[in-house]
Amino acid sequence: MKKLIAFILAAVMLLALAACGTAPGGDASDNAPADGDAADAAAGGTLGVMLGTNVMSLDTDLATDGDSFEVIADCIDGLMQMDADGAAVPAIAESYDLSDDGCTYTFHLRDAKWSNGDPVTAGDFVFAWQRICKNAGEYAYMMDEIANIKGAAAIIGDGADPSTLAVTAQDDKTLVVELEVPVSFFPSLMYFPTFYPINEAFYTGLEDGTYGTSPETFLSNGAFLLDSYTPGTANLSLTKNPDYWDADRIQLEGINYQVVGSSDNALTAFKNNTLDVVMINGNQVSAAESDAALSSNLKVTGAGYMWYLSFSQTEKNAQGGMLANADLRLAISNAIDRESLVDNYVMDGSLATYTAVPPQFAASASTGEDFSADQDKYSDCVGYDPARAAEYLESAKAALGTDSFTFTMIYGNNEGDEVAKIAQAIKAQVEENLPGVTINLQPMTKAERLDKMQNDNYDIALTRWGPDYADPMTYLGMWITNNSNNYGFWSNAEYDQIIADCTTGAYVTDYDARWAAMYDAESLVMHDAVIAPLYTKANANLIADGVDGIDFHPVALNRVYKDATVG
Amino acid sequence: MEQVNIMPNAYVPTAGDFEFLSRQDINVDRNFASQGYWKGVAIHFFRNRRAVVGLVIVVLITVLAILGPILSAYGYKEIISVTNDAGKQITAGSISPQLPGLFGSENINPLFADKTFLFGTDTVGRDLWTRTWFGARVSLIIAFVTIIIDMIIGMSYGLISGYYGGMTDNTMQRFVEIANSVPRLVIVSVLAIFLPKGMGLVIVALLLTEWIGMSKIARAEMLKLKEQEYVLASRTLGAGNFRIIFGQILPNTIGPIITQVMFSIPTAIFTEAFLSFVGVGIVLPQCSIGSLIEDGFNNITTLPYQILPPIIVLALLMLGFNFIGDGLREALAPKLEDM
Amino acid sequence: MTKYIFKRVILAVITLLIIVFVLFVLVRVMPGNPFPSERMSAEQIANKRIELGLDKPVLVQFWDYLTKLLHGDFGKGTSLYNGAPIKTVLSTCVSNSFRIGGLAILIGTAVGLLLGITAALNRGRFLDGFCTVFSIIGVCVPSYVFLIFLQYYFSYRIPFFPYFFDPGRFLFSAVLPSVSLSLFSMSTVARFTRNEMVEVMDSDYVRLAESKGIYGPRLVRRHVLRNALIPIVTVIAPLIVDLLTGALVVEKIYGINGIGKLMVDAISGEGVDYNYVLALGILYSSLYIGIMLVVDVLYGILDPRIRVSAKGDA
Repeated sequence: MKKLIAFILAAVMLLALAACGTAPGGDASDNAPADGDAADAAAGGTLGVMLGTNVMSLDTDLATDGDSFEVIADCIDGLMQMDADGAAVPAIAESYDLSDDGCTYTFHLRDAKWSNGDPVTAGDFVFAWQRICKNAGEYAYMMDEIANIKGAAAIIGDGADPSTLAVTAQDDKTLVVELEVPVSFFPSLMYFPTFYPINEAFYTGLEDGTYGTSPETFLSNGAFLLDSYTPGTANLSLTKNPDYWDADRIQLEGINYQVVGSSDNALTAFKNNTLDVVMINGNQVSAAESDAALSSNLKVTGAGYMWYLSFSQTEKNAQGGMLANADLRLAISNAIDRESLVDNYVMDGSLATYTAVPPQFAASASTGEDFSADQDKYSDCVGYDPARAAEYLESAKAALGTDSFTFTMIYGNNEGDEVAKIAQAIKAQVEENLPGVTINLQPMTKAERLDKMQNDNYDIALTRWGPDYADPMTYLGMWITNNSNNYGFWSNAEYDQIIADCTTGAYVTDYDARWAAMYDAESLVMHDAVIAPLYTKANANLIADGVDGIDFHPVALNRVYKDATVG
Repeated sequence: MEQVNIMPNAYVPTAGDFEFLSRQDINVDRNFASQGYWKGVAIHFFRNRRAVVGLVIVVLITVLAILGPILSAYGYKEIISVTNDAGKQITAGSISPQLPGLFGSENINPLFADKTFLFGTDTVGRDLWTRTWFGARVSLIIAFVTIIIDMIIGMSYGLISGYYGGMTDNTMQRFVEIANSVPRLVIVSVLAIFLPKGMGLVIVALLLTEWIGMSKIARAEMLKLKEQEYVLASRTLGAGNFRIIFGQILPNTIGPIITQVMFSIPTAIFTEAFLSFVGVGIVLPQCSIGSLIEDGFNNITTLPYQILPPIIVLALLMLGFNFIGDGLREALAPKLEDM
Repeated sequence: MTKYIFKRVILAVITLLIIVFVLFVLVRVMPGNPFPSERMSAEQIANKRIELGLDKPVLVQFWDYLTKLLHGDFGKGTSLYNGAPIKTVLSTCVSNSFRIGGLAILIGTAVGLLLGITAALNRGRFLDGFCTVFSIIGVCVPSYVFLIFLQYYFSYRIPFFPYFFDPGRFLFSAVLPSVSLSLFSMSTVARFTRNEMVEVMDSDYVRLAESKGIYGPRLVRRHVLRNALIPIVTVIAPLIVDLLTGALVVEKIYGINGIGKLMVDAISGEGVDYNYVLALGILYSSLYIGIMLVVDVLYGILDPRIRVSAKGDA
């Protein structure tokens, strides 16, 4: 019987574990003085910031993720920078001139210094950009396909000599860039890290492959200096750059980044005052909302990227190409209650989305209106409507001559806590609203999901895309025939023509006509249900009392600390 | 050859001198009646109070695992939801344990105030009582598979490797090193290309590595025991290798082997949950104890009640299995003190 | 004995070669791309493959890899921390994981042995029951749940230990992860020690020793423990390998850049990083093979009757 007593002891231990959780809700009040400590700590001017993933690389050529871009942008300034609204304002370039044909930009550089004392010259940009084209990495497409810089396509695609890139240093302070066609949003590309400079003399003096792997092998010309970093580290710190050209503007003494793996842990770290800026999701958001002390710290910002369902339309998938039937795709798209997805499962302020271009990232330069502000544009074909979904299904059944459909939906289960929940909710909703349709869930790693999609070896995929630049084309460009991101293999000649006109053809010089044409393109995508947009992700941030002035952006750089203040 | 009569005058017995005993003349010890081996094991086992407690726990959980999901008002994959006045769907996500009239939290959504959720609901809005027992069902199957893998493959492998020694042992141990050195994630994701996903693949994945620990224990025991006198005696009396390994030495290794089996069960249960990471575990919306623990862990400080039921069920199961294991060990290889 | 060890080392090298080859082939079959990309064209990806020599026959690639490996060059990552030499990344991760894991082994083995011995000596009494229940909880509750528990109480409610791992204050910030990682091995060791000791204490030679008047610590040390140690060593060995090579979730929670997370990132981050998987595989197998060798040698030392090596070799 002593065993029993011992067992009861053990049970008490487990319950203590439970108590460990119930406490925080109640101790919100005794947290208050601790918050004061945070403010004190922050008065020193160092900000503790959470990162969602490890910083993969500080090399602009190799970095591919938002967290790496953020840290690079803290340390290096490009020609332009983002203001609080996401517009491009001068940084290293003091000003620029645009030729009358809209194809030649001449940037006039200010006197800025690298952290080793060298001046930042036009040659540093030429070197960095040529390197991006020569290495032809992930973001090289920004040079040719997006920015349309003369000569870039030949270097990236055919291995031409990098010096043929039409980017020249007229003198140390004048950079001339020639484009194939006018690109209306070109200045705003200049704040994207791919276009940042690298000090050529410093880079070539390093052992091959070591650039950006430690504070000693990295140079800043921006607001902060790299203080501690090793590749793979979970924490890195930055300190204020006293020689920054705009040093007076920077209030922070430094930033300590800490990688935090779970939302639950992030919430505790915030309450603990270990971190001043964290991102939470799902149930931690509702916990923070219902907590009097925390709800004032909550700030929801747009994360930019959109989750959507991709349907494979090729013969070899989905029971012999069943999903090539547009009615079937429309049926699935109409059977999904997107409001329920964001309210009950994502829970972080994400927006249910009914357009192929998500809202809140691309505003018209002439009217200032968000491209997708109107989410009811396509209410005739997208929206939660079980009755209409059933009608679509009936016509699909008649056309395809079968009554039952079984599809496999793939998703990555290392892409966020909510993804598995969303997948299960979609399965439940579709199966309930569309009798005869069965969706089997297939979790896998993100690596495998991408591989399956690129090899066209899937039926339905739960996937996402984040905007690389503030123009609807970052989404619409994906659905042209044979684009590598057109995982459904949809093809429509009319659509291809509109996109061609917008990027290189008739509309490049007529801003408003281009804008209107993109709506026509989007309408084609929506009425054919090439994809089923689900929701536009938001970030639920907790920001400590007294911390102010952090700029959040849904595109390019998620967080900018140049105006941030503490205390 | 001539027979030499060394005792010429001795009496030579004849067949007529002997007679059969009648049955009643045989003396039988009625106080300490001899019994079959297994009957003895059973008597020893059931005389052990802890073993019986263990058995009761395991049987109870097994019964609940079978009946729990059937008797529940909700399905294991049923997302409990209502549509509110504004026409919006509200799911019963993250409701702490409640039994109307008895216990439950006050700030619960009134739409669900009349519903019974003994263990609460998960973040998706499903009844955790149902899912816990459904998960227990899956995990019990995994536990039994592990026991079988451990017993048959691991034990035989280790015993044979240790017994023969020399070249045989060397080759077998190098193979173990190779089998154990390829990261499980790599092997499993390659396997998943060729095999259909689901329970079968989980079992194959467990088969690949779960036996190794056991084989090491069995080998170590064999190395320790094979030089003992009774083995030598057995061999001298002409026992074959097979008989010595499985008949003579095996019963003497039963202690550490049972301990190892018991301890490999939770490892297998967690391994299964880890496997679902590469899409090999049980298929959502099904669940297992391991996957429930992982789900609960995501919200451990905000919604602690979600992780408790699976952990407690697992701990109880383990306690039960261990008591049974201890009882079995004492019953199978009784020592003087236990009698 | 030296001859035996020498032979085993040679064999270990051959085994390692086989493992590297098996891994080399398997990793190329795995789903996932070494250059995960949603933005590169097919030609760009093909060029990257050629750059890394992935277009050559596997055997040629294997030979190239081996020659580099013999010069201590693990190559560079293809999708993970691309650019930085693997050696740089690996050395920090290894030093973190080894130190935290090593501490966990020390705590786990020491406390586990102590618990096991106490339980065995108090067989059937309260302490024995406590030990049983403790070890059952120790194996049932994952170490990362313990870590959350410790982190909550000892760095949040009582802000004594740092909330995240701080390489600058290594020992201090390693306490929580080490303790939580040690619980599984602690429980296992305690349970095995207890059961083995009980078995040995029932044996004839211990009875003989007792009848000769040897009691207490001396009996335990000289007669019981020594004979009980063999299965315990067998159990500890693989635990050491597991602990040294890191634990994914614990590393994620406590912000440690260790081997466990590196491995999972290498396999499933954005793509499958061939070179990282190989480097980590080699690290893991050398550790495992090395420790198994030590264990086989230890058997002979602990119990002179045991001959792992073929007769005549020893």
